[in-house]
Amino acid sequence: MKAMSHEESFKKIIDMLAELKDTSELMLDLAYSSVLFNSPELAEEVQALEEHVDNLHTEFELLVLARCIQPEESRNFLGLIRLGLVTEKIADAAAQISEVVLRGLEPHPVLQLAIEAAQETVARVQVSRKSVLVGKSFRESQIHEETGMWVSALRRADKWMRPKPDMLIEAGDILIASGYAEGSEDLSRLASP
Amino acid sequence: MVRLEKIEYKPMPVRDLLVEMKDTSELMIDLAYSAALFNSQVLAEEVIELEKRVDTLAYLLNMSTMVAARSADDAESLVGVSVIAAATDKISDAAADIAIIVLRQIGIHPIVREAFRKVEEQLTRVETKPNSTLVGKRLEQLELAAKMGINVIAIRRDKELIVNPKRDEIMKKGDIIIARGAPGGIEEFERLADGTLQRLEG
Repeated sequence: MKAMSHEESFKKIIDMLAELKDTSELMLDLAYSSVLFNSPELAEEVQALEEHVDNLHTEFELLVLARCIQPEESRNFLGLIRLGLVTEKIADAAAQISEVVLRGLEPHPVLQLAIEAAQETVARVQVSRKSVLVGKSFRESQIHEETGMWVSALRRADKWMRPKPDMLIEAGDILIASGYAEGSEDLSRLASP
Repeated sequence: MVRLEKIEYKPMPVRDLLVEMKDTSELMIDLAYSAALFNSQVLAEEVIELEKRVDTLAYLLNMSTMVAARSADDAESLVGVSVIAAATDKISDAAADIAIIVLRQIGIHPIVREAFRKVEEQLTRVETKPNSTLVGKRLEQLELAAKMGINVIAIRRDKELIVNPKRDEIMKKGDIIIARGAPGGIEEFERLADGTLQRLEG
């Protein structure tokens, strides 16, 4: 393996920590949604992301340790390592939540009540070919303005991701959105008329 | 000797306990990352306080599920509640770990700030200027979540820290607001606070 320059490894560590934080929080959203919808598919995605985070976290730690740390920097680097560890713990907790679904235990109604109470409501819709959303970017789609719902995750080509403002919406995309109860119906009409 | 709060069984709806555990653990993550990002002891101390609260809730919830289970079927259906409550407890522990980095002044590498500039959901700390349109308004009036995707995590007012402010909280000048949201919304919110943006579109 080609040795990385000091600069390159610095950039890589930054990107990895950002990805660790984003992924661990996405996992938590998906894990609660998997319980809410009793969806093994969502739960399996959380498990797959957990494996990804484990690998990413190991790579992150190795990269940090590979820097020749001077004694006066050691406290700062310890803080960095511990922050990485926190994202890994959050990912673990998300995986633990999703396991309830994968063990085939019918989630107790109180769980669904609790998750809905905390997030108002969460909806899951698939974008149909006839939907006006197809071909629009998330920014142009004005989903929030039209429905009051915030899209927190989408599934495309077997991968869950966060929506980006300039990402184009495609037929077949599955959207997870949270907001108020009435918004959920509006979103369904918009996505699958 | 370590002194811990004695916990007595109180009949409380499992749903309420779980909602509080879930909400608090999520709030704690944001508070803890904010504490690290802004090197704030006050926020870090709040995280430690909330962690104790979550511990207490975890005991109460476990007792409630035990009392509720009267059969094998009940147990099967309730075990998921315990597992998920334990996960929220784990999350609150993770948040407390961040708070400890701040409180013990272990150090936050500059890389952390760089990384926080790249994450999807960003954190900001703003001070409301006297001419800001936020001043004198109730949080619910501002509809920050609906209009900009901004969630206010905490407000620091003089010596007081208001965590997870209520909808009828009135913004004052000089408030230091910690908030979370997508980069576009964060920028708009920062301009509202410093008075360079006077009204909200839409």
